[in-house]
Amino acid sequence: MTGLLVDTSGRAATRRRGSGLTAAIRRSRKAQVGLVILLVFCIVAVVPGLFTSVRHPNALQFTPRLGPSGEHWLGTTSLGQDIWAQLVYGTRQSLVIAVVAGLFATVLSVLVGVTAAYLGGLPDDVLSMITSVFLVIPTFPLIIIFATYAGKSTLIVVLIVLVVTGWSYGANQMRAQMLSLRNREFLESARVRGERRTYIIFAEALPTMTSLIVAIFLGAALYSLLTAAGLQFIGLGDPDSSSWGTMLYWSESQSALQTGMPLWSIAPGLCVALLGVSFALINYAFDEISNPALRPVRRRHVKRARVRNT
Amino acid sequence: MRYVVRRLGFFALTLWVALTLNFFIPRFMPGNPLDALRARTHDRLSPAALEQMLTSYGFKPHQNIFVQYLEYLRNMFTGHWGISIGATLGEPVSTIVWQALPWTLGLVGVTTVLAFLLGSLIGVVAAWRRGGRLDSVLPPVFVVTSALPYFWVGLMLILVFSVWTHGWLPSDFNYDPDLLPEFSLGFIENVLKHAVLPAATILIASIGAWILTMRNNMITTLAEDYVRMGRAKGLSNSRIMTDYAARNAMLPNLSGFAMSLGFVITGSILVEYVFNYPGLGYQLYNAVQNTDYPLMQALFMLFTVAVLVALLVCDFAIAWLDPRVRATGSR
Amino acid sequence: MRRTKTIAAAVVSLSLLAAACTSATKKATSSSAANNPSGSVSTQPGSTAKASHKQGGTVTIVNVQGQTWSCQFNPFNPAVYAESLGFVYEPLVFVNLLNNAAETPMLASSYTWGPDKKSITFTIRDGVKWSDGQPFSADDVAFTFNLMKRVPATDLYSLWTGAGLQTVTATGNKVLLSFAKPAQPYFWYFADQVGIVPQHIWTTAAVAAHPDTWADANPVGTGPFKVSPCGPNNIQYVANPNYWQAGKPYIQKIVYPGYLDNGPGNRDLASGKGQWGSQFIPNIKQFYLSKSPDNHTWSPPVTNVEIFPNLDPSHPQTSKLAVRQAISMAIDRNKVSQIGEDGQQPPANQTGIILPTFNMYYDASAVAAAGYDKPNVDKAKSLMASAGYSPSNPLKLTIITITGYTDWDASLAVIKQNLASIGIDLTVQDLAQQTFNSRLYTGDFDLAYYGEPTSGPSPYYELRQILYSKNTAPIGKSASTNYERYINPAVDALFDQYPSADSATQVSLIKQIGQAMLNDVPIIPTTESVDWFQYNTKDIAGWPTPADPYAQPAAFNFPDAGQVLLHLYSKSAQ
Repeated sequence: MTGLLVDTSGRAATRRRGSGLTAAIRRSRKAQVGLVILLVFCIVAVVPGLFTSVRHPNALQFTPRLGPSGEHWLGTTSLGQDIWAQLVYGTRQSLVIAVVAGLFATVLSVLVGVTAAYLGGLPDDVLSMITSVFLVIPTFPLIIIFATYAGKSTLIVVLIVLVVTGWSYGANQMRAQMLSLRNREFLESARVRGERRTYIIFAEALPTMTSLIVAIFLGAALYSLLTAAGLQFIGLGDPDSSSWGTMLYWSESQSALQTGMPLWSIAPGLCVALLGVSFALINYAFDEISNPALRPVRRRHVKRARVRNT
Repeated sequence: MRYVVRRLGFFALTLWVALTLNFFIPRFMPGNPLDALRARTHDRLSPAALEQMLTSYGFKPHQNIFVQYLEYLRNMFTGHWGISIGATLGEPVSTIVWQALPWTLGLVGVTTVLAFLLGSLIGVVAAWRRGGRLDSVLPPVFVVTSALPYFWVGLMLILVFSVWTHGWLPSDFNYDPDLLPEFSLGFIENVLKHAVLPAATILIASIGAWILTMRNNMITTLAEDYVRMGRAKGLSNSRIMTDYAARNAMLPNLSGFAMSLGFVITGSILVEYVFNYPGLGYQLYNAVQNTDYPLMQALFMLFTVAVLVALLVCDFAIAWLDPRVRATGSR
Repeated sequence: MRRTKTIAAAVVSLSLLAAACTSATKKATSSSAANNPSGSVSTQPGSTAKASHKQGGTVTIVNVQGQTWSCQFNPFNPAVYAESLGFVYEPLVFVNLLNNAAETPMLASSYTWGPDKKSITFTIRDGVKWSDGQPFSADDVAFTFNLMKRVPATDLYSLWTGAGLQTVTATGNKVLLSFAKPAQPYFWYFADQVGIVPQHIWTTAAVAAHPDTWADANPVGTGPFKVSPCGPNNIQYVANPNYWQAGKPYIQKIVYPGYLDNGPGNRDLASGKGQWGSQFIPNIKQFYLSKSPDNHTWSPPVTNVEIFPNLDPSHPQTSKLAVRQAISMAIDRNKVSQIGEDGQQPPANQTGIILPTFNMYYDASAVAAAGYDKPNVDKAKSLMASAGYSPSNPLKLTIITITGYTDWDASLAVIKQNLASIGIDLTVQDLAQQTFNSRLYTGDFDLAYYGEPTSGPSPYYELRQILYSKNTAPIGKSASTNYERYINPAVDALFDQYPSADSATQVSLIKQIGQAMLNDVPIIPTTESVDWFQYNTKDIAGWPTPADPYAQPAAFNFPDAGQVLLHLYSKSAQ
């Protein structure tokens, strides 16, 4: 599982909220590609019926083990299901897991990180300790054990487990950022004005950290996507559900790669990879936007004057 | 010194929390060793015989829980990890662990460190040659590879290098089953051959992140004043690159490396699963499949200890590299 | 790679606490089992086939464990005994489940039942040596059984508790086992399943303290092979030079790799690197059979995989007979077999009699008369209507199964579709093994999909486990094998008569029990679980075949694996 390392050094908190952000996105090729991919997947998730005529992708209604053809773009599984249809309908669950788990994990990260930094002292030490502990405890083994003990893997269980194990990374970053902000003038002036602590935190400090929060969200979403796919792949998800990870589980257990049905394995994995890449691209583009030093350097073409050899 | 003490304290505390979690989770969740053993012996033994078997294997479920907890802690530290009640019923957990450990250390450990070092190096060079060809190609390529799922990379490598080539590179195991482990050239060659694809998987999937962050850090560092000062002083390029820039850019990377070790463990489990590599990750997967409590607990503890030790090593490395840390005692 | 867990991995020809009966009076191949009550087997020493081939050759076994070898060979440890029983340890008499319980004397050259079948005397074979050269005697046999009494954890078949074994004594070359009640049902266990262990090893201090947990890393037995050496990735066996059948085994070396998953195992089978497979191979035609004309497969069915409905009145829908009948009539068992099990597990039938293995107990006309010979969706619909359900007003039921048994999941997908057409909305719930077990045992389910990992030389064994009321328990308590809570005193009586009946009556009793299965539909068998078997004839010959099923062919069947190994020979060594 790749941890998407966020470069905090470049994430200077900008005073202005989001100004020029959309323009910057439009300029960055990476962000464009990432956003387009994400958009495509979102559309597929919302209206899968537009992309395939099959209404019940898990029903065993076709001849098993067919190769790709005009009727079945990616062929059929060894149980007789249309692979393309499963892929299309599986988008929803995979996207939902990534976004929902990512969202909740981000919220938790922000709350814990900011509170710890702002309160300082003992609460800070305690919260930091908790964060570090969760960060360090190897999550996948914990997930495996938790998912097994819980008896059955429903979507809720997977989501809870992902959130519980995924929030600590972002919390550290929020805390570091908040710490550097604490003594800035605009916050000092708010304190002097007599504003409540919660107001200062949420209305003054947080808005300046939007880019970091977005980065944390993207990182958490990527983590959730890959971890959920991994869990489902080794069989700890719900084998009846419709998602890319489940497709990988079935294709693996039916030895798709070795029995001449590689598309059944390749396609869902490719989709997971693509969605993950879109998160990573957008995140990387954000890095460049907020840290001008990282922006791509355009090679200057200096026209050399022709020197006449006279 | 204060720094060292603080880190060690953190180490001890986290270890204790992880162990306690490890102890209580099985006891709060459904299932118990008696049922597991009953299923394991295909329901053939009477409950009395099962209890006797369990006691032979070291289970004393009727003891006071606090006493159990203390005994558990003591056992974990002294290496008395009990006897497996899973598919390897009767085998001491420590035997299973010691057999699997070298393979995980060798494959996952070496490859991860390699990926980190190599990635950092490439990142430094790429940042140095800003605007060059390397730099324009690198980021997109490695952004993509950094988001690929570990297991999918493994599956693709198997497809291309093993299935399509009819077995040119082996896709399972750590060495051919009919070979006996020995220190001969043939055996070592066989081991390496079996390690190529899993190692490549880990490298491909993890190197991207290191390259990118190192590159970004380097670029930011290169913009700093002291680098400009170095250039003004007339120092050689390589000197600036290593002593001034890289050394400072390395710091956040190292701490990032430490923090992402958890992800590394995850990746290793998946890679060992896909490649049937009998390391610790694979044993954990099997232990979970077979509800093998003693093995599960021992492995979970080991993983936690491994991450903590690596974290400690990184922290000390950072302290060695960064005098500010040594001076102030905190970061 | 994901290990496809099929019930086959757990199907071993063993039994449970339940009593069992053997009809060891059917026609035998190499030894004659008499039909008279004294049931003596008249054999001559060494009646096993004479050595007729030259020795030589290696066999590689492919039987996925999912785990590296622990290099333990204790015959009393269920996790490892399949690697030592048959290879290293031998039974008194080999009973062949596939050939109507044909018997081959092994360590016992003959036996005689006492009056009422409450005792049995085995005459122990002369001239047998342990693999360490020590002489084998009746004392070792008596020791083995008495060990099971001293350490209950080694009494895997509950002989001393359930079967009523009272004493085991050795005098000269004879061993007498005395029971409290007629013990013919248990013959299968104490004569075929128990491996005899050497007294002189198992009385040493280290072993005697904990024989149930002793590793037994260098097993000493009377069998055709010795372990030499064992490592985590591979067990190698070499022929035992002291083996009592002269000139045997023909095969001199066995290589038994510890495959972690089906993928590599199946690949080795396909390439011919492994000759003896006991695997579920998906898409077997393309993946294995088409790779070489020497690749063959034959998997004999041995037990049922079935739906257990909950018959307890607390579950009103599943305790309705009409609902159960409808389910059994709606399921397209052929399709389940084709799609769910890749056609490698034959469809089962409602009587629960395994075909063709137990053909003689099967009454085809009764099945047709009851309407279960082929799926009948219309009749099923009308049955559901009589219970008040229809496709527009469906009955919602949940079926629990074990996570990871992908072929069962696939079978259930087919069943779900079948049932949807008659008005049952089936939800498949995958549970972790632990959770599944506890819910199955305590009756916390509407429907459960499961197959008992046991069998025996006649349908009596499996049916008794499933149907006998003593094997059940009230909801909330753990039932041993009768999970559906079926209680029928008439059927109980049939089972009770079986042990003391003669062979013809036994067949009739089973047929009556089959009729009860048709009448009451207490469980709904869907497919027949098989002994997975693939074999490569390029160099090795002597395999069991449908024409000559001299033993159960899977490498995990014990002690049948030993019998197979005694028949195999290498063509190139001749």
